[in-house]
Amino acid sequence: MVYIKCRDVVAKISDIIDHEASLMTRMRFYGHIMMCKNCRRYFDQFKEVHALAGKVTADDLPPDFEQVMGAVMDEIEGHKDA
Amino acid sequence: MQGTGVFQGDSDDLTALKAGDSDAWRVVLVRYGPSLLAYATRLLGDRASGEEITQDSLVNIYRTIDRFDGRCSLKSWLYRAVHNRAIDEIRRRKRYVDVGDQGLEDYFNAAGRWRHDCPGWDGLAAKQLDDKRLLGKVREQMDCLPHAHREVLFLKEVEGLDSAEICAALEISPGNLRIRIHRARAALRAAVVEA
Ligand SMILES: [Zn+2]
Repeated sequence: MVYIKCRDVVAKISDIIDHEASLMTRMRFYGHIMMCKNCRRYFDQFKEVHALAGKVTADDLPPDFEQVMGAVMDEIEGHKDA
Repeated sequence: MQGTGVFQGDSDDLTALKAGDSDAWRVVLVRYGPSLLAYATRLLGDRASGEEITQDSLVNIYRTIDRFDGRCSLKSWLYRAVHNRAIDEIRRRKRYVDVGDQGLEDYFNAAGRWRHDCPGWDGLAAKQLDDKRLLGKVREQMDCLPHAHREVLFLKEVEGLDSAEICAALEISPGNLRIRIHRARAALRAAVVEA
């Protein structure tokens, strides 16, 4: 197995979690992770925060959302009549 | 427009939109308006500006829909319009925060090894928060990141746009998007874990 540096392991994390890494990269990555405490910790934290980011939802709609879009519709309908 | 494969199954009726059909426009506003408004609000940092920019952008899109050539999805086109308008506004206020190349590099020495031990997750302050508070912290820190990070995180992690849609919306290459996503996630991890 070709040696891979910690810096390169960290650089590959997004490819790993987005399933965009090649088989060879995955093997080197996980081989390193097993042996290296620091990269393992970093990877765990990265995954955890990434998972939480996926749970953040878009802002709730403002109460006047209808009004916001209504103003756009007025413009559209006014334009058509003109 | 049929058979181009550009539009999704629940396709946006481009012919009707270009003809100024208000029902077709209403469908578009209902379908995309909420996410566009949320995106503008997250970038600008306040709701009033988000509403104003979204309104302006949508009216402008309506007026210039003839220029839409279908090379990307309508969704990407809408995001692109709102994005550009929001970034213009942020730059006008001289508040745009870009990111340099550094960040991750600080962790490693010349040999590419960790300069200091990475702290264990269990010992971190963030880990002591309950799930709800931790999620709140992630959300809060996301809104504090430089705009260049916020853009990709919101579109990718929050709105779940696919890579092609994000590339089209932000007018960047897939390679550039990969790099930006990784840096943005790394910055978010650092903000949440190391703060
Ligand atoms: Zn390592």
